[in-house]
Amino acid sequence: MEGTGHIAEGRPTSRLPALAIALLLAAFLLAPAPFGKPAAAAPKKVLTVATNGSVDSLSPFLAQRVLPTEVHRLVYDFLTNYDPKDDHAVPAMATSWSPSPDKLTWTYAIRSGMKWSDGVPVTARDIAWTYNLMMTNKDAATANGNFVANFKSVTAPDDSTLVVVLGKPQATMLALDIPVAPQHVWESHVSDIGTFSNDATFPIVGDGPFILSAYRKDQYIQLDANPGYWRGRPKFDQLIFKHYANQDAEVQALKKGEVDFAGDLTPAQFNSLKGAANITLNNGDGKRFYALAINPGATTTNGKPFGDGNPALKDPLVRQAIMEAIDKPALVNKTLGGFGVVGQGYIPPIFSTYTWSPPATETVGSDPAKASQLLDQAGYRKGPDGRRTTPDGKPFTLRLYGETQRAEDAQNATFVKEWLDAIGINVSASIVDQATVGDNETAGNYDLAFDSWLVNPDPDFVLSIQTCGARPATAGGSFPGDNFVCDSTYDQLYAAQISEYDAAARAGLIKRMEAQLFTDRYVNVLYYPNTLEAYRNDVIGSMQMQPQPNGIYDGQDGYWSWWSATPGAAASSSSHVGAWAVVAGVAVVAVVLAAVVLLVVRRRSTAQERE
Amino acid sequence: MSAAQLAELRHTFALDKPVVVQFGDYLLRLAHGDLGVSFQYRTPVLRLILEHLGATVYLVGTATLLAAALGLWLGARTAWRRGGAADRANTAIALTLWSVPTFWLGLILIVVFAVGVGPIPGLFPTGGISAPGVTGIFPVVADRLAHLVLPCLTLVAVLYAQYLLIMRSSLLDEMGEDYLTTARAKGLRDTEVLRRHAVPNALLPTVTLVFLQLGTVVSGAVLVEAVFSWPGLGSLFYQALTVPDLPLLQGLFLFFSASVIVMNLLAELLCPLLDPRVRTG
Amino acid sequence: MSGSLARSLREYRNHRAGVVGLAALLLFVALAVGAPLFVTARDLSAVYAPGAPRQPPSSHFLLGTDAYGRSMLAVTLWGARISLAVGLLATMMSVGIGSLTGIVAGHFRGWVSTLLMRVTDWFLVLPTLVLAAALASVMHRGIVTVIIAIGLTAWPGTARLVRAQTLTLEARPYVERAKALGAGDWHVMRRHVLPNLTPLILAQTTLSVSAAILMEATLAFLGLSDPTKVSWGTTLQLAQQVGAVSAGDWWILLPPGLAIVAVALAFTLCGRALEATLNPRLEGKG
Repeated sequence: MEGTGHIAEGRPTSRLPALAIALLLAAFLLAPAPFGKPAAAAPKKVLTVATNGSVDSLSPFLAQRVLPTEVHRLVYDFLTNYDPKDDHAVPAMATSWSPSPDKLTWTYAIRSGMKWSDGVPVTARDIAWTYNLMMTNKDAATANGNFVANFKSVTAPDDSTLVVVLGKPQATMLALDIPVAPQHVWESHVSDIGTFSNDATFPIVGDGPFILSAYRKDQYIQLDANPGYWRGRPKFDQLIFKHYANQDAEVQALKKGEVDFAGDLTPAQFNSLKGAANITLNNGDGKRFYALAINPGATTTNGKPFGDGNPALKDPLVRQAIMEAIDKPALVNKTLGGFGVVGQGYIPPIFSTYTWSPPATETVGSDPAKASQLLDQAGYRKGPDGRRTTPDGKPFTLRLYGETQRAEDAQNATFVKEWLDAIGINVSASIVDQATVGDNETAGNYDLAFDSWLVNPDPDFVLSIQTCGARPATAGGSFPGDNFVCDSTYDQLYAAQISEYDAAARAGLIKRMEAQLFTDRYVNVLYYPNTLEAYRNDVIGSMQMQPQPNGIYDGQDGYWSWWSATPGAAASSSSHVGAWAVVAGVAVVAVVLAAVVLLVVRRRSTAQERE
Repeated sequence: MSAAQLAELRHTFALDKPVVVQFGDYLLRLAHGDLGVSFQYRTPVLRLILEHLGATVYLVGTATLLAAALGLWLGARTAWRRGGAADRANTAIALTLWSVPTFWLGLILIVVFAVGVGPIPGLFPTGGISAPGVTGIFPVVADRLAHLVLPCLTLVAVLYAQYLLIMRSSLLDEMGEDYLTTARAKGLRDTEVLRRHAVPNALLPTVTLVFLQLGTVVSGAVLVEAVFSWPGLGSLFYQALTVPDLPLLQGLFLFFSASVIVMNLLAELLCPLLDPRVRTG
Repeated sequence: MSGSLARSLREYRNHRAGVVGLAALLLFVALAVGAPLFVTARDLSAVYAPGAPRQPPSSHFLLGTDAYGRSMLAVTLWGARISLAVGLLATMMSVGIGSLTGIVAGHFRGWVSTLLMRVTDWFLVLPTLVLAAALASVMHRGIVTVIIAIGLTAWPGTARLVRAQTLTLEARPYVERAKALGAGDWHVMRRHVLPNLTPLILAQTTLSVSAAILMEATLAFLGLSDPTKVSWGTTLQLAQQVGAVSAGDWWILLPPGLAIVAVALAFTLCGRALEATLNPRLEGKG
């Protein structure tokens, strides 16, 4: 290597930035961009909703996650809907209905004059085709198969009549939450129904108040108002669900006006929005219960025990002691910041028809002294180190599982651990991912676990998961249930309520089931978190809440909020990008380009000098 | 999703089989170019990766280019004026930024520049790659750039330090060489010596290291994308972690590793272009 | 050996940044070790939290309170214990693996060396965070997992440095002489190579700790640590989960974040000063 060799040539270097810029430009163009979309003729009124939900599929047969199911409620019509005031079943595709005297045949009169968004009429045959497909095709039953499991046949004798024949009486026939798909569109997708995700061509043919017009994974879902919707056209022209990876970003986007609605807020976020300009807050009742599940000892449907749940938990005194030690009001105050209701019955108070509370004499909790006394009585003695031992002299330790993704689990685990510690029970808490919790629960390898379910206006499903039949058929196999609970009294009541078509009588049975669950203390409701929401009142004039007066806007059991929302003074199609941001963005690019050009030019000139 | 649904899904995707069996299956399918199906999105992993690739290349590419330009430029300057106030200040700032957790810096930048604190207005969007419903070439470009500023700034801040330090030390090494003394003796001005002789030679080890450090860039991208809701591979990885969606995690891991290795190969191919010593030798 | 160490110490004193870093480090370690003197179990209890949740700083709570109502001062102090412990243990593990690999690859020739260096190169280019996160997500959740995940992914840099140094050392006449006299592999590595590697390994350890502490915070933020334990990372994760970011609760976000920056910076400064002391050619670089 000679001395002159040290002096590098400039020109090859200059290709590097040019190459990089070319690559970046290519990436800029390749990155999903809304280029080429025709500009709107008239200013559109757009309602943008922040979401951090993910989309597993846009197929109404496959989607199980909250966001796509909410979208399906908006783009496909259902047989019935739930009243915005009190959640009772109201007509939708069906205008009237009647069960046969033997309770096994339901006949629905189907609305005439409805049209799919491509102009084809909607008839009873579409409904029959959809239900039949779910009954005969396992893939098509993925999302909503449980609704049709008891159906013997579904027929459409003419365009405006639907007849469903049942195997056993079923009280939930006005709560069939199944999006009805257009037969003429979906017939060609039967062969690949298990994989077709319904996001290939837009707009997607539907018959709901909105039409799904565009979708970008993890970016946004765009819905256009359906002008021909039979209940009336939505007041906003466009509804957009915009994706944010975290809730904080949603709140900030709302404050800035990037979005007009943000739901599912944490107490801290909710409080921070108090007094913010143009923001209306809604502290609505929640549809969810949050419970502490106590493992009764996992068993299969034929009673074969498995898993390693602590046998001490079979003792009712121990379960009662655990619940006496826990201070439910403290959890509501601390974890929920007061935005919740102390847990009592299994069904949240938002569903007033079914809500149950224990008699005052039976209220338990916040009593560590009584808890200690119960444990003494049960033979779990305290050692000199303050730790209790089991009657056969082993240390008494319980494992508590929670999910990382549920923010409240980590906090509640800290509290429960401390409370049980105080009465001498050692708790090892694991806050892990959903799959690990699921694995441990399926295997029966847990003692305590946090457990939370969203309840529908018809509570049949959440009731069914606590029956003996919801246990797995084989040890460690997957199962439709929750906590391996098996109580014959509860099961008898469950069977009675499902065949009871009188609403008041059925509610009475359901309340007795809740009382039984409460006494068993295997599924202990700690609280019902409120639903905290906020929206921009300059963009949204008004919306219907469900139920009223203390309900929610997002995640309703109908489409009332978005369908009824009226545009406010500031509603328009403005892109929400501040002028400052545009200027700053352009400035950044200008600087970068200038720098690169300078670099290239200087390299060139030095190279020429050298040559 | 309930535990039961999850268990059912995991069964469908054979995730409840022994790990060794799963791994064997995986290798077999991999040999056929099949990365499997994400059980969270019910979509082939390869399709998911390709869908999210563009956004990541756009963000990471811009940030790397800016960080490298800034780092190399500052590195050269600080080395040349070694020991001066500017050198000390620059090195101190670089080292401090290097010690900052990426996600934390992102959160702070959101609070300050997206939401606005005190007199600072919320200048930039809080997240995402673009606003829906923007039309027309100029507004689309402006919207894209406005969304790019904060995530890009975060990445540049945590990345440029290492480029600065590498450039600085390579140049210091180079400056000890005899040929520079010779060049100075020829009467060339100091800046000329720096620009024409020292910098080009110091660039070689630096650029090689820039490519070697791409693994760090990928790591930074995961956090930045998660904080800024950037719809790229990093967000996808973050989503996959929370479930965890093992087929997707495996696929992304494989993809990240492969791309870093390809980049390293590229660096080896680029070396001769940058340094005639390697070309002739 | 001891003479050169003393000389190194004297030289170290000339690096102002290094001295500042060392002082800061000693302060942090003292605070972490002494934390039980200031912070009682009751201060960290969620049930008996002394304040209301998320109170801004006041005369009673100098740094405000966290989402449980615990003093942020106490939480940040206590967090130093896990963050530092994880950082140090993970580094010991990674430097241990790295040094062993480096010495063996440097001492032996042929396929052993080739194989080890291929593996090292492979790990070197892999994105560390992706690897660590993937590891942590498939293992049992907890602090030990975090240590293992960091330890198993952060070693290749050390391995390369140690191998290079080993090659240099083994070329020295006295090592060659020892080999000629029939000294075994073990003897050469333990008696001649390892002692001379100590300063390098020490510098490398110091530099690695800051990366390990950053990684601990990152993994905790990604939800891969144990959120019921108080560390800087879990404090930030909790803050994010309860929405402290959008509520603008800067007193919850700043102390753990700044603490991470300060400790990571202190370790980096010490490491660079050590490196410069050991390698005078780099004089004036830090």
